[in-house]
Amino acid sequence: MTSNRQKYYLLAYDLLYYYKSFPLDNDGETALSKNTAGRGKIPVFLLTGFLGAGKSTLLNHVLQQPAFGDTAVIINEFGDVALDHDLVRVGESRITRATTGCLCCTLGSDVRSTLYELQTMVDAGEVAFSRVVIETTGLADPAPVVNQLLPGGAAAFGLADHIVARNFELAGIVTLVDILTAELAIENQFEASKQIAFADRLVLTKTDLAREPATKTDIERLRAQLSIINPSAPIIDWRNSDFDAAELFLPRRYRPTDLGDDVTLWLALEGAIASDNKIQAKQDDDKTRLTRHGARIRTFAIVRDEPVEAAAFQQFLELLSKSAGPSLLRVKGIISVEGDPDRPRIVHAVQHVVYPHTVLERWPDKDRRTRLVFITDGIEPDPVKQLFEASLNSRPALIQRALTGIRKDTMKVFRFVAIQGARVWKLSATNRQGRHHG
Amino acid sequence: MVDITRPRSTIKALANPLAPRRGVPDKTRRIKEWTREVLKLEPDVAVSVTELACRDEGCPDVETVVGVMRPGKPIETMRIHLPISDISKDDLNEIAAVHGGRGVA
Repeated sequence: MTSNRQKYYLLAYDLLYYYKSFPLDNDGETALSKNTAGRGKIPVFLLTGFLGAGKSTLLNHVLQQPAFGDTAVIINEFGDVALDHDLVRVGESRITRATTGCLCCTLGSDVRSTLYELQTMVDAGEVAFSRVVIETTGLADPAPVVNQLLPGGAAAFGLADHIVARNFELAGIVTLVDILTAELAIENQFEASKQIAFADRLVLTKTDLAREPATKTDIERLRAQLSIINPSAPIIDWRNSDFDAAELFLPRRYRPTDLGDDVTLWLALEGAIASDNKIQAKQDDDKTRLTRHGARIRTFAIVRDEPVEAAAFQQFLELLSKSAGPSLLRVKGIISVEGDPDRPRIVHAVQHVVYPHTVLERWPDKDRRTRLVFITDGIEPDPVKQLFEASLNSRPALIQRALTGIRKDTMKVFRFVAIQGARVWKLSATNRQGRHHG
Repeated sequence: MVDITRPRSTIKALANPLAPRRGVPDKTRRIKEWTREVLKLEPDVAVSVTELACRDEGCPDVETVVGVMRPGKPIETMRIHLPISDISKDDLNEIAAVHGGRGVA
């Protein structure tokens, strides 16, 4: 009934969002909106978790519940081709678009400006919603967003920020932890620990892949590790029979002080970083003459107009995953397949795990091109693109050449880590002074 | 009959033992310790370490920020344009010397 009355909006901000607009007369009285009305502010939830942990899947699941129809969703992603908005599908609702954005510099303020836009539309009577869910990219640092949303966090500039502070409040942070990749993510990516530390709900995902006793022991070890990083957040298993995703998004008081010293210090540090004078920072650069470390995390996309042959594409993904392994942080994409061009495939790979594709009954929008987004650690776009073309054209010699290129990039990361390890050892052994950067 | 097959961990089967490990949590702890040592900080001074990543042109790709929080004083930040895993004690010595003129050390 409401579906044909829904409206969709698209705003040109770095963070864009979609939401289902509900008529005020009959949907303004849901239990949840009464609840939030009592609290006076609209609850904002942050949904975070490392790359491929299942954020979009969880969000899809929750938004399909009728009580969550009146949810505004903000999706932040980066990459050359915005895809996440296509991967979150809710009934008849369509499109969000999200673009690249400098996470450290802009995410915080963008959250405020996006919320301000939402509030303007509420005031104009155009929309009503009971909660906001912000899904962050897997690499996002939660501190800037939390500071923007907490009273006493980042300073409010101008009327818009004050309006946001008056109308919205942070009501929970949900962090998904993929049991298959969590340990390495914590070891290698700083944001992973931070996302875990800031959560007031931790959700273990992919636990259905843990059938053997040994794996269960590993999960217990992971739980212990999580409890050290975040002693207060309950750890919830997605596959437990009593798991209720909706409960994760019920408003509660989010208090960083409950989460331990690291979190409060990070928020304080984040505030200091945000207010650091940029000119001063530039002067520091010149003074210290520290060289910037070369690019480590790369994102790039492959877009192809013609459909791909299914078996050849699968071969590409498997070869890539095997040769790149953990340097392949994430692949996601929507694929047009030869012989079945009306039903696109959604593909996902996380590190060395290629997940079975899912079939969509129709394309999310007019764009019917194959689009793949890659997030890698040290692997350059060129050999991946060469492997893609060579696999689709069945050119074994070119496939081998591309694989060599990928392995070379992977080895660079290996060597780099080994050199760093040797350097630290040598330095601590000789206490050598006066080393120059470069 | 004796079952000689040992239970196999799915996690371990899927995890690559050769995967590079940067030891970020451990290194973060060491950077905090080094900062205390290099700057001779009293126990009531808090130290926080964060790594900022940015994928925009013109921003440093990865930088580490060390915050020194003395009671009742504005937070002092030291920025090192290296990822956490690459920072050595010498980097802290060097940056502390530069910041010395601004009152950090």
